[in-house]
Amino acid sequence: MNEAENVSLKGRQLLDRRNFLKNTGATLGGLGLASLLSAEDDPAAFSGKAPLRPLIDPKNPYSARPAHFDAAAKQVLIIYCPGAVSHVDTFDYKPDLYKFHGEKPPGMPAVTFEGPTGNIAKPFWDFKPKGQSGKMISDLLPNLGGLADDFCFIHSLHTQTSAHPQGENFMNTGFTMEGFPSFGAWATYALGSACKELPAFVAINDPRGLARSGKNNFGNGFLPAAFQGTDFNAKNPPSNLKRPDSFSALDDKSTVDLLKHLNGNHLEKFPGDADLAARIASYELAGEMQMSVPEMMDLASEPESIHKEYGTDTGTPLKREYAKNCILARKLIEKGVRVVQLFNGSDPSGGNGITNWDSHSDIAETHAMQAEIMDQPTAAMINDMKRRGLLEDTLIVWATEFGRMPFLQGNGTGRDHNPEAFTCFLAGAGVKKGFSYGESDEFGFKTAVDPVEVYDFNATILHLMGLDHERLSYYHNGLERRLTNVHGHVIKDVLA
Amino acid sequence: MMTSNDLIRLAFAMTLSFLSSNRSASAVDYAKDIAPIFEESCIDCHGPDKEKSGLRLDQRALMLKGGDTGIATIVPGDWEGSYLMEVVTHLDEEMAMPPKRDPLSKEQIKLLEEWVNAGAEWPGQMNTEHKVETDHWSFQPVVRPEVPAGEASAVDYFLNRKLEAAGIEANAAADPRSLIRRLSVILTGLPPLPERVERFVEAYPVDPDAVYAELVDELLASPHFGERWAQHWLDVIRWAETNGSEANLYRKNAWIYRDYVIRAFNEDIPYNQFITEQLAGDQLGVGEATGFLVAGPHVPAATVGREPTAIRQARADRVDEIMQTIGASILGVTVSCARCHNHKFDPISIQDYYSLTAVFQGVEFGGRYPEFNDEHPRIVRAKEIRSEIGKERNLLEKEIGYWEEDFGGFVQMHFPEMKTRALRVEFDKPSVFIDELQVYPSRFGNENIALASHGTTLVGDEKMLDPGSPPARANDGKFGTMVWKSRAPKGSKDKPFVEIRFKEEEITNRFRFSNNREYYFETDYLDKKSGALPGYRILALTETGEWEEIANTKRYRETIAKNAKLKESAHRLSELIYTLGEEGPQHAFVGSFHRPEPTRVLHRGSPENPRDEVVPAGFEVLDGDLGLDNRTPEADRRLQYAEWLTQPDHPLTARVMMNRVWHHTFGSGIVPTASDFGLAGAPPSHPELLDWLASEFVANEWSVKTMIREMVMSDAFRRSSAPKTASLENDAGSSLLWRYPPQRVSAEVIRDGILQASGKLNKEIGGRSFRIHNVKKTYAQWEVIDNHGADTWRRMIYQERMRRVDDQIFTAFDFPDCGQVRAKRPVSTTPLQALNLMNSPFVVEQSSFIAERALKEAGQKLPAAIDRIFQLLLERSPTEDERQACLSIAESNGLEIVSRTLINSNEFAFLP
Repeated sequence: MNEAENVSLKGRQLLDRRNFLKNTGATLGGLGLASLLSAEDDPAAFSGKAPLRPLIDPKNPYSARPAHFDAAAKQVLIIYCPGAVSHVDTFDYKPDLYKFHGEKPPGMPAVTFEGPTGNIAKPFWDFKPKGQSGKMISDLLPNLGGLADDFCFIHSLHTQTSAHPQGENFMNTGFTMEGFPSFGAWATYALGSACKELPAFVAINDPRGLARSGKNNFGNGFLPAAFQGTDFNAKNPPSNLKRPDSFSALDDKSTVDLLKHLNGNHLEKFPGDADLAARIASYELAGEMQMSVPEMMDLASEPESIHKEYGTDTGTPLKREYAKNCILARKLIEKGVRVVQLFNGSDPSGGNGITNWDSHSDIAETHAMQAEIMDQPTAAMINDMKRRGLLEDTLIVWATEFGRMPFLQGNGTGRDHNPEAFTCFLAGAGVKKGFSYGESDEFGFKTAVDPVEVYDFNATILHLMGLDHERLSYYHNGLERRLTNVHGHVIKDVLA
Repeated sequence: MMTSNDLIRLAFAMTLSFLSSNRSASAVDYAKDIAPIFEESCIDCHGPDKEKSGLRLDQRALMLKGGDTGIATIVPGDWEGSYLMEVVTHLDEEMAMPPKRDPLSKEQIKLLEEWVNAGAEWPGQMNTEHKVETDHWSFQPVVRPEVPAGEASAVDYFLNRKLEAAGIEANAAADPRSLIRRLSVILTGLPPLPERVERFVEAYPVDPDAVYAELVDELLASPHFGERWAQHWLDVIRWAETNGSEANLYRKNAWIYRDYVIRAFNEDIPYNQFITEQLAGDQLGVGEATGFLVAGPHVPAATVGREPTAIRQARADRVDEIMQTIGASILGVTVSCARCHNHKFDPISIQDYYSLTAVFQGVEFGGRYPEFNDEHPRIVRAKEIRSEIGKERNLLEKEIGYWEEDFGGFVQMHFPEMKTRALRVEFDKPSVFIDELQVYPSRFGNENIALASHGTTLVGDEKMLDPGSPPARANDGKFGTMVWKSRAPKGSKDKPFVEIRFKEEEITNRFRFSNNREYYFETDYLDKKSGALPGYRILALTETGEWEEIANTKRYRETIAKNAKLKESAHRLSELIYTLGEEGPQHAFVGSFHRPEPTRVLHRGSPENPRDEVVPAGFEVLDGDLGLDNRTPEADRRLQYAEWLTQPDHPLTARVMMNRVWHHTFGSGIVPTASDFGLAGAPPSHPELLDWLASEFVANEWSVKTMIREMVMSDAFRRSSAPKTASLENDAGSSLLWRYPPQRVSAEVIRDGILQASGKLNKEIGGRSFRIHNVKKTYAQWEVIDNHGADTWRRMIYQERMRRVDDQIFTAFDFPDCGQVRAKRPVSTTPLQALNLMNSPFVVEQSSFIAERALKEAGQKLPAAIDRIFQLLLERSPTEDERQACLSIAESNGLEIVSRTLINSNEFAFLP
């Protein structure tokens, strides 16, 4: 009787896992076996593929770490549109909506999120073929439409909730509940960042404030706080970045000098203590951030033509602010920040929808207001990044939490939430150009061809970053937690 | 040789019974007709070799048990109710069996049907049953290990044995200065005061043990002990004062639960009682303790939309939050893993999960008036206030006959007691909306006779009827946003009214109404809670069929305005009612209880797929049968379950708590995965020690303080934390405790330590949380508006805790966002922490306060002031070299730069 036969199946799985690591440890891009097995809290229990734990240098948790395999994308820019953008009024062309306009929707529910179902409504904007691909895109987003040949649309997304905060949580953290790490936290936990003087993960919030799930969209959840998104935009620096008014530059220098002195003395009692050294290093990094973040936020050095292209001086005040955030996003990507998450919309519902894309009533006006803010600056940013060659290494993700209904909400003028079908797009590093994946049904009511779960969407983004979504895990409260829970398949068809 | 083929190490004890059974003979024969079908189409996957989905069809008992889904494969005598039917007839398309090949023939299915309907006769196995067993360590009884006589400390005995075996030499005792800082922070979360340090350091060399023991007792008796240890408990159950989710609304008076936990630790309430009170305090006169059950986040029914499926899902999610709380904090088991299928690692079935939900099926996220004993200070105070209220009421009754009282959430009109068949209320505004109106029979009667269930009907003005919001909503017994709306047509001079028609003549003296009492009781800090209530007059139907006015708010206000004595009385009455709300029992977010529906297993966790009924019970593997059923009153279920949890020989309860206490004393648990004692968790580093602690804990009547004392009195706790190369090479993580492992202190210790050093810390225990956020709109985010002003100078445990909101200073120090259970906070180091401690207004201000205080206490002499700052923040004097460095900076940049620097120093942030 050999050893393996004498233990439980669970035990054998564990043995198998150790064998696996023993056999492959040496070839895993510099991640040594020791680091894999000595990670804190290793519960020695895992049901799926063995976790690949990043080897994190406590002195600099942000230092760059190798991916699991060759990554198509080194960085990610997420453009997140809270409130749910209407797919049937933007990127998902449904001729049948014209045909059945004003009729009772066949085979659709009598009650949706906010109440009774109304009649089918044709798109509120005309669709026209765009680019060489001839992709049908509505006039609501003329500038983004002009980039159709660069985009890889996914039309068959569906989600598990029709409530905004849960939907935001799901898209951004992989769980509808709160308290799970965001995509950016997972990516920077795994990969760190090539950029030394800026945080690895920056959340650029809308000028109007945080989205509905607030910090949960870019939080670290149960991952160490080091991996939370640092929250600032073109207008507001991170809190406490600035030297206090009551202190002079010399005061700051004296503080830093004295601190070095005291910490040096203290470290002598604990030679080689990595935690103490890490904390000393964090003050140096903070000092660098104090220089580099204002540099990023200062847009004066950008040429006039850039300001014009993004539209920082035209249109509504909100659009101007958002345009500045777009320039900031590009600068951060240019500097090497690993994940930038740019929000186009904020929290409260109601209020004529001018805080985000939620358009239960008067969608013609409210979506138009949001589009005015988003369209030109976002398109300019993507174009600008393309010109600079940034799309070679950067993946762009444009996302929202769900779609909107093909019919009106009651007797009103808006569309209710539609969790059964919605559209997001990818662009840049590693994805097909001018390509559309999946389909919703003839009304855009439900997914019909190649359904994509949010898990699949996230698994694909991780894959593009060179990360196996089944192996990027963190032990928390009894489970190896993943961004994709126990689900998710990489959508191979969208990979370039 | 038998191979062990069971994923979760369940052993199925098959017991054969030789009793003859009385069964009808079946035409279908198992061996001839049925076994071949299973052999041909099923056993390859669902037999002893593969056991796919945890299912085996080679034994009758295992078929009755079912696979991972937890559904019985066959229900003898009921083919329609058998899962086998669903899968072989492809009724369940996703589970169509056998997969990837031809379905069973009609004849085969027919045979199975007949066999099952005839009782699924299986010769030789008719009386076998399976019993869930496990050999996983944490489910085994605690075995108290022997400690040789003469050992001073059992804790040291077990630790030292391991150290010896590993050939590691333990460090000597720490210096007294380190010791007192370590002990103070671990026990109270506050660094020691400089004077106490000096006293300790001076006395220590004379009799270290006695002096140290004295300090231990002093700190255990400190009222700050409870503040520190309550926080650990609140972390695990992710307690916060907001709901989370969309509106993230404030949970009004939820803090009384936080105060309960502090009190429980301070008074060393036995842990078994602590558990029982948290599960069923409503039955024991400590109603506020049930805040435990609703500690987690929840999505209120009002924000999940109108789809019935979404509403049911949200309820199932709320129940699961309760399961997570109990599983993580008390049981140390990841119960929720069994929500959709049998637990993948641990011997917990989906039935176990839903049996546990049955125990708590009556619990809902919301508030109530907590039940208090008669001696409870709030009850005593309320009695006093009520007697005062009675005096004013008597006066107003005598002088006017009727009067109005404003309780904040509702108004109440008293009028002379009378007999009538109907009341009519006429409002003075063109538009009214009312969530509930109530009529009470007499001055002391508490039954609402306006309820529809009492037979009363409400009739409004037909012209003003809103079909979506009919008058019946105002007497359905439900508070909240579902209201009766009535609006006069444009241009009309008419005003809304309502007639309250009783089924028969009633005696009455009081009318009460509100427009959103739920918002008033359940939440707070919203900029607009509910609209002002209109004025009105009340008429009663006389015997002759006429409406006679009995009360009128306008006339009441005019009357009291004209008479100073009455005005004074009415004013006093208002104040007393307000005081009653503040100082008497308060409606608080500590859960509400309802009569539960029968509980069913939700197939694959989906509320749309309810299957077999389950009864309230503990885990089967731990003999959790409580003898209850779905008719058992819900409070009894909670009480009985608490009794099961707190049996002295429950293998998990004491072990999990002792490990938690150890974790917070030594920085890491004996089981490092403090909320998972299952197979996926880590094994104990010192199993005997853990068992000794668990058994000693129970033997000491579950006294937490006694056990903490046992731990901190050990040599291990008192060891120096100095690194030693030889030992580090053997045990880099110090898990064998050859030294006390150094650790960065938590957010609270940094913040509270700064405030204590500046002398600004308000050390008052308990009470309403201090505010740092705005008053917000319903669907808006909380924003930090003042995280440093004088009102915030209390201990951080009293800072209002909004789920997922960053306080912009200390959240960065791995303070939990209260979204998920947190048995162990990660410790990370980030530049944002550095920026917050260097530049936040809090630190800037406190640096100045510390400098001012030091200067004052040092007689305005700079060198002495520097010494004082070191004592206040680091409990030591500076070295000469440090003193000189600080002096030169204090002279050129100001003394506050010195305190600012010390606040940022590693020495301040790390526990020695």
